[in-house]
Amino acid sequence: MVDGAGLTADQFLSFLTQAAFFLVFLLTGWSALRRPRRAAINTALFFGVIAAVVLWQWLSGVLHLAPNRIASTIVGALFFTLPYLMLRLVDDFAYVPRWIKRAAEAGLALSAGALVALNSWETADPRRVAPTVVLIVYFVVLIAYSGVRFVMEAAQTTGVTQRRMQAVAVGSILLALLLFLALPQLFVPSLAPVLSIVNRLCGLASGLAFFLGFAPPPILRRAWQEPELRAFLGRAASLPRLATTDEIVAEIERGAAAALGTPHASVGLWDRERDVLRYRAPGGDILEAPSDRYVPGRAFTTQRPIYCDDAMRDDPENAEEYRRNGARAVLSAPITAGAEQLGVLTAYSPRPPIFADDDLVLLRLLADQAAVILESRRLIDDAARVRAQEEATRLRDDFLSSAAHDLKTPLTTLLAQAQLLERKAARDPEAPADLSGIRRLVGETRRLNGLVLELLDASRAEHGRILASLEPLDLAEVAHVVCGRVTTERHPCRAETAGTVEGQFDRTRIEQVLNNLLENAIKYSPEGGAIVVRVWAEGERAHLTVADKGIGILPEDQPFVFERFHRGRNVDDRQFAGMGLGLYICRAIVEAHGGVIRVSSESGAGTTFHVELPLEPPVTVRQHEPLAAASV
Amino acid sequence: MNRWLPRRYDPRVPGGPILVVDDDPNILDVVAELLDMEGYPVTTASNGAEALAKLEETTPSLVLLDMRMPVLDGWGFAREVKARGIELPILVMTAAQNARLWAEEIGAQGYVAKPFEVPALLDAVERLRTN
Repeated sequence: MVDGAGLTADQFLSFLTQAAFFLVFLLTGWSALRRPRRAAINTALFFGVIAAVVLWQWLSGVLHLAPNRIASTIVGALFFTLPYLMLRLVDDFAYVPRWIKRAAEAGLALSAGALVALNSWETADPRRVAPTVVLIVYFVVLIAYSGVRFVMEAAQTTGVTQRRMQAVAVGSILLALLLFLALPQLFVPSLAPVLSIVNRLCGLASGLAFFLGFAPPPILRRAWQEPELRAFLGRAASLPRLATTDEIVAEIERGAAAALGTPHASVGLWDRERDVLRYRAPGGDILEAPSDRYVPGRAFTTQRPIYCDDAMRDDPENAEEYRRNGARAVLSAPITAGAEQLGVLTAYSPRPPIFADDDLVLLRLLADQAAVILESRRLIDDAARVRAQEEATRLRDDFLSSAAHDLKTPLTTLLAQAQLLERKAARDPEAPADLSGIRRLVGETRRLNGLVLELLDASRAEHGRILASLEPLDLAEVAHVVCGRVTTERHPCRAETAGTVEGQFDRTRIEQVLNNLLENAIKYSPEGGAIVVRVWAEGERAHLTVADKGIGILPEDQPFVFERFHRGRNVDDRQFAGMGLGLYICRAIVEAHGGVIRVSSESGAGTTFHVELPLEPPVTVRQHEPLAAASV
Repeated sequence: MNRWLPRRYDPRVPGGPILVVDDDPNILDVVAELLDMEGYPVTTASNGAEALAKLEETTPSLVLLDMRMPVLDGWGFAREVKARGIELPILVMTAAQNARLWAEEIGAQGYVAKPFEVPALLDAVERLRTN
């Protein structure tokens, strides 16, 4: 009873195992027919052999064929090509040292010999033991080796490929175990019933593992793909916010390489105007190629994903470049958002991917995601550009209306004063000229002229064209000259210098800086007081300070004193006329010389401006930042 | 009659002086001199706060008010006048483009945009004073 039940279970297991292997053969065979690549053909061959053996056993079982020595020799010979075929498969996926391949070939020949010997001897012949052991050891060693290689390969990959490699590794190791279990039976025949069950289970598990590894159902593929895709998408959500498109591209490349388990992935961005694809080379350089060059170029031009297992063969023109970059297999998919062709996503690897079809599907998904990311980025960029333009326009309008307002003030006086003089003259032609009125006209006209010049300087500063030409100049001498020009009894100006401070400067502009700072100092010292100018050199830099004992600058105003139109909150406009452009122009001049200007002040205790200039300006003298750029 | 003939200030004309408020001393002087020549009593202030102080001494018949001023601007002045419950005709004088809007904002009776034509200013002054 027990025996009978065991037999049924045994038969059932056997049938399942055979069905599993047969199914794998059908699926891999179909796949090899559809895409006849080396790896696919080798896989189909491997399972074809298994299927043939299975079929023979099944047929002989069903038809109750008498044991046929020739037939069983052929089937046995077929069976013992399996380790060799498995090794070829490993070689397709990973590198197998040449000597192992030679050893496998030798083993193949040896096993054929052993088989012939086996089948020529009677079943009970003790001479059969040695060749049987040789055959089993040959089989077990090679299959186990393949299993181990698959495990190692699996560790280096990710996602679907890793899962499939793991399944294949499990299948191989179980297959090796199955054969290995035949050894103890050989010496201890009583173990046979127990081991037979284990044997059948190993066979079934091996068959299932190979099924999952070589022909996983789509649902399983998607499930295995999901974590990688999810990881990529998780990161992708925040990508468009990265500072530059380069950073985004780098992240997409990293993410795609990780998701695909390839060493390197690259994004080529299409430059529409010049019709080139721009790649970031590993060193950070930009590589531009015509949009139809290389395998990625083909994918871009045809707008179809491409898998190329040997780029050097398929694109011989650029073979050298592929070889240099260790890129043999190339998977490439266009990055396209709707009708918007953005570029191409490419994965490179030194060996053809084991399961290229899965990888191509995943690459397409990644490319679509990259398209979404890059397109959002483009929209964000566009929006930012529009905002910046609007901001620049607004600043220009503000500037114009501020300037207009400031110009209208003296104009109001001029027009009213002129009409007042006209009225007076009309009313009483004999009256003496209104000298104070005429002087006011002259004064306000000068003021208007000064404002216009200030505006022009501010405009030049904005466009970074404030410097004329640099000439050798002694800052100490400039300090004495300008100081002498503005000094009065109420505001004595003293220049403190220690020797000459000679460098390359624009004389007019440096005088203007000093003049503005001194006027400022005088303007904001309404109670009077000494103003001190100090000039000295320190290493390669000149220093100039202007210190007063005036009303000072409030701490909250200090960061803005060099901005256009900024007036301190403790500044009374009536007392201190001006457009608020003086310090802005000073900063522009100093920065155009490659220097810096700073202010330190205590409210009520005076102000010190500190100008630091390089004696020899940098080769490309830094230009003052244009307004629009500074405001964005 | 020659329209340029002076209209002499008649002390019997009811109402106080015209208060001119502007932070630019030149404009303040010219406008004051002009009004004085036309026979109006004039008093001046260089910002809103000074103008409020002037209200303590006298009740002007009209205020010529600049808007952008330090210490207390035109809006601040108008608000304070309203808060004190004083009825004062105000003529806004400003160089800003939205002179009219600002005048409406503070409930002024009129505005002149700087730079103004003297006859236009005098017309507006005369119209507001006789209302």
